[in-house]
Amino acid sequence: MLKIENLKKNYGSFPALKGLNLEIPDGALHGFVGPNGAGKTTTMRILATLMKPTSGTAFVDGTDVVKEGHKARKLVGYMPDFFGVYDSLKCWEYLDFYARCYRIGAAERKRMIRQLLELVQLEEKENEYVDALSRGMKQRLCLARSLIHDPKLLILDEPASGMDPRARAEMKGILRTLREMGKTVLISSHILPELAEMCDSLTILDHGQLVFSGNVDELSDKMNGNAPLDIRLTEGCGGEQVETAVRCLKEMPAVIEITQEEPFLLRIRLENGADVCEDVLRQLIMKGVPVCDFHRAPMNLEKVFMEVTQGA
Amino acid sequence: MLNPIMAFSATRRMRSFKTMLIVIVYVAALLILAIAFLSPFFNDVVYLSTMTRGPLCYLALLAGQFGLLILIAPAMTSASVAGERERQTLDLLLVTNTGSFRIVIGKVMESFAMLALLILCGLPVMSLCLLTGGVSLLHILIGELFLLAEAFACVSIGVFCSSVSRSTVFSGVISYLVILAIGVVTALPFLSGYPQRITDVVYDRAKYAALTAGEARAMISPLLYLNPGFGLMALIQGELHFFSSYAELKGWGRILCTWLMADRAGWIFIALACAAGMLVISAILLGLASLMIRKGTKTIKSN
Repeated sequence: MLKIENLKKNYGSFPALKGLNLEIPDGALHGFVGPNGAGKTTTMRILATLMKPTSGTAFVDGTDVVKEGHKARKLVGYMPDFFGVYDSLKCWEYLDFYARCYRIGAAERKRMIRQLLELVQLEEKENEYVDALSRGMKQRLCLARSLIHDPKLLILDEPASGMDPRARAEMKGILRTLREMGKTVLISSHILPELAEMCDSLTILDHGQLVFSGNVDELSDKMNGNAPLDIRLTEGCGGEQVETAVRCLKEMPAVIEITQEEPFLLRIRLENGADVCEDVLRQLIMKGVPVCDFHRAPMNLEKVFMEVTQGA
Repeated sequence: MLNPIMAFSATRRMRSFKTMLIVIVYVAALLILAIAFLSPFFNDVVYLSTMTRGPLCYLALLAGQFGLLILIAPAMTSASVAGERERQTLDLLLVTNTGSFRIVIGKVMESFAMLALLILCGLPVMSLCLLTGGVSLLHILIGELFLLAEAFACVSIGVFCSSVSRSTVFSGVISYLVILAIGVVTALPFLSGYPQRITDVVYDRAKYAALTAGEARAMISPLLYLNPGFGLMALIQGELHFFSSYAELKGWGRILCTWLMADRAGWIFIALACAAGMLVISAILLGLASLMIRKGTKTIKSN
């Protein structure tokens, strides 16, 4: 559905995107993660035909968004990270206006507006003024607006920012429905756990470069290889046993950091890529250390995000 | 399909109480002006000298509306595109299938429709001049056409300035400056550049009398046809015939030689040519505005 080829964008001498390559299949719910200034919004604005890239291109369903902007606009629904609503307009009028801008006929407009208000759970607010809606409702109305022309690709720039937990949950529900409807959704956030919950796959950008692209499990697996090891000794085994364990670990060249998290819990960090878990455990047991639990410390996604983006 | 931008903006504008207030104030201002000029007709005895009050009233109403439109149009259009930018709704329009030119035209037509409404609401007041005599229906119709062209030009300037501005206030200020600049630059041939060949003809009563309309038109600088003030002058001359020979220019200076040339060229022609000139300026500005509207859209937030 979406193919980005060597996309570059410079703001003056500052490179916001440094040759991004990405492919997203049909019907995917794809997360676009990165810290502030990573190039997420720039990429999305290029895809929405609001900005021209310095070089490279992107194709939506085979249509070049740079050269065939008019055609691409029919395929792409864009929801920026601000509401962009007009005062003194009723909800249905707001959607009707944008439907007219897409040159949708009267009967079709009426049908689409009804369906979309139902989808975003605003059917009861049809005749209410937009400025009377809550933040979450406005956000959902904007989502409905971006769907008014039935696009194949939906680009959502931080749709959940500033929302309370209930509104976020409602938004997630709507996104799942959209996936069931077969829409391809590209959704950005700078909060990885938030996206990991709802997306099939993820792309992590940092400083205009792609640092990871794949599904959430792949990312966790990749990062778990670098997760620290937790070694728990039998409680009440005595301070000498702990000291023995620490001494033994210090002798191992692959162990680069040892911390005592609790009286009987040691956490060690291994050199990148060192596959010496079995050796560590064997050595400790041979020294008579009473190990009762030995496992990799769970990496939460927040930590994964920090790890992935720190070195780019 | 009706331009959605125009239909949508007109709906919002018409919902506002302010719109009705503007129409009432505009018509009231014209009515006060008309009553001031026509009040001698309300007396029991009407003197012969009073009969010129009808044409004078027409001219006052015409000039008054001319000035009001110049004041109102930039204020009305300053927010047309810059306001969308401020409200962050311009991006949402640009990602639709409505092209840049259609957006610009929609914005122009929306504001123009409001000004046209004002001009048409002023028509009954203008028609009061018909009751007193001295003013023909043709004058009123040409005057209305001229005002509509002027309104369209002012709105186009306003929308153009709004397209290149980031803020509504800035847009309003530069709109007034652009209108002033166009007025001054296109009036230069009138203010200072009256060539010798014009004065030669005007000073010589015989030559001036023998001058045909075509010859007179050829002698007028084409730049003047882009000046709305010149068109207004032609309408005034067409109605009142202030001057018909150089002898009558005494005390006015040679600057008004072009006025006489315009008189010979035909007031309807001059007024309509100026209206066309204003439309040419509008077309150029609207073309530029549709190019600028996308260029002015930069990243509001760089991630």
